[in-house]
Amino acid sequence: MPSQPPLPPLLTTYLSKQPESSLTLISSILGATSNWLVLRYLYAALGTSSSPNVTIGSDELANGVKRKVVLVSFLRSWEFWRAEAKRLGLDLARLADKQQFAFVDGLSELFNTPSTASGAPTNTGSAVRTTLPLRSQPGTVPGRGPPSTVTAERLGNEGLRQREPGTAKKLHFTGHGVAALDVMEKDIIAEINRQKSSMAEGDEMLLIIDQPDFLLAATGASMGIGATEMAEWVTGLQQHAHATVLTLAADSPLIHNASTSGIQQSSPIETEHAAFAIGMAHRARSVMQLRTLETGAARDVSGVLRISRGGGWTGEAEDNLEERELLYYIQRDGGVRVFGRGES
Amino acid sequence: MAPVNLSHRRTHNLLLISKLLSLRDTASPLTLLQDSLEQPATPLIKEYIRRAKLSKVHVTFIAFETLKKPDGVDAFVSTRRKSPAEIVEEVAAVYQPASATGPPRRRLIIIDAINPLLSSRRLDPAFHLPSFLGSFIAPSGPSTGKAEASLVVTYHQDVSALPQQNHYSPTPLSVLTYLATSIITLHSFSHILAQKAARDRSLAAPVFGLEEEQDGVLLGRLDKLAGTGAAEGIVLELEHRRKSGRGVLEWYLLPPSSRYSPQHVKEVVTLLDDNVLYNPPMEPDTNPDEDEPKSTFELGLTDRQRRDREGVVLPYFDAQHGDGPGEGGRILYDMGEEDDFDEEEDEI
Amino acid sequence: MSFRKRNIGLSAGVDRAAVPNASTQPAPPESSPGIRPSPDDGRPTTSTGSPSLDNLLAGHAGLPMGKILLIEENGTTDFAGALLRYYAAEGVVQEQKIHVVGVPEQWGRSLPGLIGTAESLEEKRDKRKDEKMKIAWRYERLGEFGAGVAGSRDAPAPAPAGEKDAIAKPAFCHAFDLTKRLTHPAITNMSFIPLVPSRESPFAAILKQLQTTIGSSPSNTIHRIVIPSLLNPTMYPPNACQPEHVLQFFHSLKAMMSAYTTRVTAMITLPLSLFPRSSGLVRWIELLSDGVIELCPFPHSADAVATSGAATSVEEPPQGMLKTHRLPVLHERGGGSDQNVGQDWAFILSRRRFEIKPFSLPPAEGDTEAQDASATGGMPKKSDLEF
Repeated sequence: MPSQPPLPPLLTTYLSKQPESSLTLISSILGATSNWLVLRYLYAALGTSSSPNVTIGSDELANGVKRKVVLVSFLRSWEFWRAEAKRLGLDLARLADKQQFAFVDGLSELFNTPSTASGAPTNTGSAVRTTLPLRSQPGTVPGRGPPSTVTAERLGNEGLRQREPGTAKKLHFTGHGVAALDVMEKDIIAEINRQKSSMAEGDEMLLIIDQPDFLLAATGASMGIGATEMAEWVTGLQQHAHATVLTLAADSPLIHNASTSGIQQSSPIETEHAAFAIGMAHRARSVMQLRTLETGAARDVSGVLRISRGGGWTGEAEDNLEERELLYYIQRDGGVRVFGRGES
Repeated sequence: MAPVNLSHRRTHNLLLISKLLSLRDTASPLTLLQDSLEQPATPLIKEYIRRAKLSKVHVTFIAFETLKKPDGVDAFVSTRRKSPAEIVEEVAAVYQPASATGPPRRRLIIIDAINPLLSSRRLDPAFHLPSFLGSFIAPSGPSTGKAEASLVVTYHQDVSALPQQNHYSPTPLSVLTYLATSIITLHSFSHILAQKAARDRSLAAPVFGLEEEQDGVLLGRLDKLAGTGAAEGIVLELEHRRKSGRGVLEWYLLPPSSRYSPQHVKEVVTLLDDNVLYNPPMEPDTNPDEDEPKSTFELGLTDRQRRDREGVVLPYFDAQHGDGPGEGGRILYDMGEEDDFDEEEDEI
Repeated sequence: MSFRKRNIGLSAGVDRAAVPNASTQPAPPESSPGIRPSPDDGRPTTSTGSPSLDNLLAGHAGLPMGKILLIEENGTTDFAGALLRYYAAEGVVQEQKIHVVGVPEQWGRSLPGLIGTAESLEEKRDKRKDEKMKIAWRYERLGEFGAGVAGSRDAPAPAPAGEKDAIAKPAFCHAFDLTKRLTHPAITNMSFIPLVPSRESPFAAILKQLQTTIGSSPSNTIHRIVIPSLLNPTMYPPNACQPEHVLQFFHSLKAMMSAYTTRVTAMITLPLSLFPRSSGLVRWIELLSDGVIELCPFPHSADAVATSGAATSVEEPPQGMLKTHRLPVLHERGGGSDQNVGQDWAFILSRRRFEIKPFSLPPAEGDTEAQDASATGGMPKKSDLEF
């Protein structure tokens, strides 16, 4: 199979242009996940400057704006994003070092804080960092010595940076209702501001929130968090970023059960999810909908991507967003081929 | 429909929509816009703002889901983490009545989506929707002067409402539709065309977006629907309650804003029935004598042929006599000279 | 199973540091039995205890470490339970640490007995088949036939890498007999985590126990988390199916998986008759799992199918359909490119194996033409047998 360019040509315009304060919604289902598309957004924002043969200076000339990304992920670990981005040729750890990228971990300790939290995270992080180049030496037990000294050096040298990229900011859900959301919001905004501190005029901050809908599902009505509160939470974060990309699930049971009134009463988790997802689509400038083929699985098609204008599309002439439906195929090497129906 | 009737309807109803959209004579203090993902109300709200600018109306935008202040809005009120009372207060505060000399400036208050408010968990159970809306239209404060305010509220039809706490009170949507003096339901023109095309063929009307009930589909609107390339615009289904109590129901078409300049004063909205795509003009009625299709074959009958045809006794006429089984139903045919009948081969 | 020396002199704190280190390198820790690199991308995998389920998992020939596999089952049968027992038994034999949630210790005594490695079972089967085929000369053609078609399909079990490993290394997957009981010294090492009724989340105590045992174990211990019949009301308190409890539990489990990427796997079964797939809660459980497999047993007993022309004494009739909704790793990346995706699968549970194979409808009774045409059975044509 030929290797594919990191950005599928048909998607380049959609991926690279995010107007100010716009919201892009990516919807996924069980059999058609959105991670590959999120990675493409990451690449579109960070890709060129991380490639080794392009110096940062010329990149800035070419493109005018430098982009930074803050990725908040609730369902997937830093390890996953790092490994998958690597397959695209994007070294997130290095970008994090260069203050172009920050990861906010909504998975590891969201609902349970480990009792032995003191000191351990930094240690873990240093191990990730320092053993990265040591891939060729499997089986070496990371000693207590070298990593921690490196950490100490780092911390000493770079006073600005408090954390290692591997142990990005971890979100915690503590407390009840909106107050718990506020704490997380503060944490994320702190991360955004930390990135912004090194931002020049005209630089753009892209915020990617991966599946905040889980938060809504897992906290439940009993905790006083509903679709409106979640939407407000997103708004609060949006205000701090140039543009926002949001992923959420659009599986039939989560969307359609709420509207079919009558026979069976829909559960709160369904009603709230539908209200949140559809409400977000009303705000979004564009909605990228991923789904599987209706006709059943095929060997050379992974799924269908429908790009639609959301309710927040302004309809102005300069905001030209073409609606279309495309097929995509994820190759074993991680490359993605995007093509129209009937093409191959 | 008689042409006279249509032109009468056209004059009246176009005047009505013009009055409503331009907020003249406070024809409608509370307008409810019911939109969906398939046709969001954003373009219509832009049109409201554009017209308000033209007639120098003060525009207040209450944002439940809009992040950025839209162009042409005088005051932008964000509602994040605010209680309804605080919103009302802030909306009243942003409007400085014009100097005492001039006539009070009219004002337009837009709520971009009422759903988040209605489904908010932090909402006080004592929240009363009618008085909340009423407080915008008829502010009680002395400072506001005698501004005439029109309220335009958007309701997303596809966002499901939460189950009500009080099972016996009417749903918020019914309250809104009952209170509103005008209700505008928005449809996508291309969908209306597709549905009409299906109806004309007695087919089931197609459904779009969420109604497709397909896994992973939120929006179905693809503006490049086959054969409707030019079908841009929004269909407005207006239900207006006149002061007299009479109701008016009409369908309009609002063309996309790129078709006219922002300073355009003349009415741009047309009746849906006047649209050539929706209602293709009938071929003008031609001479009834020429209603036969033209063909290289002569399909007509001469008088003699017609007489002959009428003379043929069809089998069942005979069968009705019931001469017993096997009888009747014979074809009675008188051989003519043009029949090439062979006694030995042919039989009747 | 050689007994390995366990990191002498390493304190718990350093172990934690070792975890992410291991996760960055695809190769598994050398010292772990029952772990082998995936032929697809080299990540460490472990066996589910049934070779044909291993083969279904998107080319990894095993369950990748750090992944949660959810097995859903319709109806009141317990095929999923059998899969779970294979999974647990395999873990016992590989001397991994098994954590069983919510069931009493009797469950551990019902694990199927070990009868050798998976490869040995395959060989035995093939040999038996060969012997049978040598009975009469007129079956000689049949023998070739069987070797060509049935043989090639029946024995794909160990992936190429596995076969090679089998010689040098201890077996990756074993064969078990459901009618026997497992006797293994490591069986006493299983831990059973009971459900403690509580006003708070019933899962909190489980999580805590899992975290402490896994966190405090030596860094080369491999863990398997076994959760039979999740949310079953006979075992779980009513508030367990509140989303804030069960979904948070899944999320924390996922977090644990990502913290110990190379050391933990989990297999969970869920009764679909109680929690249908059309509900939002189950969909979220599925979305939080790495692999989702649904078993749809045929409603009636297999007898009816057996008497039809399709099944023979050699070929057992399928007992149900198997659907793969999501596969580990593959779908996380976007999905779709696996050769197994989109196939209809049928499963057969026999005494010694849980077999998954492509499903096709049996030809109608007496329809000899269809029977001839059907390649399903891998059966010789009638004309081959007649003179």
